[in-house]
Amino acid sequence: MVQFSLPQNSKILKGKYYKDKSGSTNIKKVNVYRWSPSSKENPRIDTFEINIKECGPKVLDILFKIKNEIDPSLTFRRSCAHGVCGSCAMNVDGVNTLSCIKSHSDIKGDLNIYPLPHLKVVKDLVGDLSTLYKQYESVEPWLKTTAGEKTSVEIQQSQEDRAKLDGYYECILCACCSTSCPSYWWNGEKYLGPAVLLQAYRWITDSRDEERKARLKKVADELKLYRCHTIMNCTNSCPKGLNPAKAIASIKKMLATS
Amino acid sequence: MENNNNPLSPHLQVYRWHISSLLSITHRIVGIINFLSIITILFLLILIGPDKNFFEIFSRTFIGKFIIISLCWSFSFQILNEIRHLAWDMGYGFNLKVSRITGIATIFGSFVLAILFYFIGKNII
Repeated sequence: MVQFSLPQNSKILKGKYYKDKSGSTNIKKVNVYRWSPSSKENPRIDTFEINIKECGPKVLDILFKIKNEIDPSLTFRRSCAHGVCGSCAMNVDGVNTLSCIKSHSDIKGDLNIYPLPHLKVVKDLVGDLSTLYKQYESVEPWLKTTAGEKTSVEIQQSQEDRAKLDGYYECILCACCSTSCPSYWWNGEKYLGPAVLLQAYRWITDSRDEERKARLKKVADELKLYRCHTIMNCTNSCPKGLNPAKAIASIKKMLATS
Repeated sequence: MENNNNPLSPHLQVYRWHISSLLSITHRIVGIINFLSIITILFLLILIGPDKNFFEIFSRTFIGKFIIISLCWSFSFQILNEIRHLAWDMGYGFNLKVSRITGIATIFGSFVLAILFYFIGKNII
């Protein structure tokens, strides 16, 4: 059953207000979603006044500034800080993105930071992505071929076939797209979601893979695939500029024409 | 899932609307309205027969005009957005810029088409 409102234990309360102590005139208010499993309270929004002059250019820099200087208990995932690892995916200013490549100067007014939408919160900005990882495993994201048994040299691919993977192999599985998709919010257990379907397409379209038909058959399911209604939130949010909506449409087209 | 008592992160409450998502939900709502209105119109036709008087008097009242113009718009909107969906099904128009342009075109086009339908129905054009 689709539930549009948040459950009772997830309703957001007003949290603490941390005033800026530097006396700077260049202040940005940053609202951050907070929840800790050790407290039995509902999640809350803490507001931090941040001196932008003494802060790096990205949203992740703001989070580090808060963690280092104001509240060390703030929890978020991050690793590379260059938009390559996909750890710091979160909802910034209403759109899912990687906080390490999002400039806070692009955002007018207050800055709102939430965890990725419609996930079980582990702590603060960290959401539980285990369902998504299980679904990723279910599309068997590895090369399936028997050619390796017959020969000891590498399996070659023409430049045209290699080009078919462009726009798909770059996916870093940050889950920005899947967690932006309303269909995935309502049917997350059954619908695979844009990220996993893009990965599925990446292996379906790989010329070296020998199980294309089996892969297509596996994904051809009313719930797994056809819950995509081309809402396009996925493509709008992808921080790597990829197009999951197109990948899903390509799978649908392959199924319709094969 | 292990942490079933953990809160759910906000979704609809915080997610920003894009033209594409707005048109998608409008398409659904309008689809249901059109579906119901076709049934209602057909039922009316069965019940009162092709009584021209009823429809003419109805179309002169304010509510009648409002309903007729609204339906002109809802049908035009769905026709145009459905063309968009057909193009998507054939694999075209997924580029972000293109989808935004076709989205805006659908909104404007739906109003133009609605006015056109209304005037054609009124025998003005």
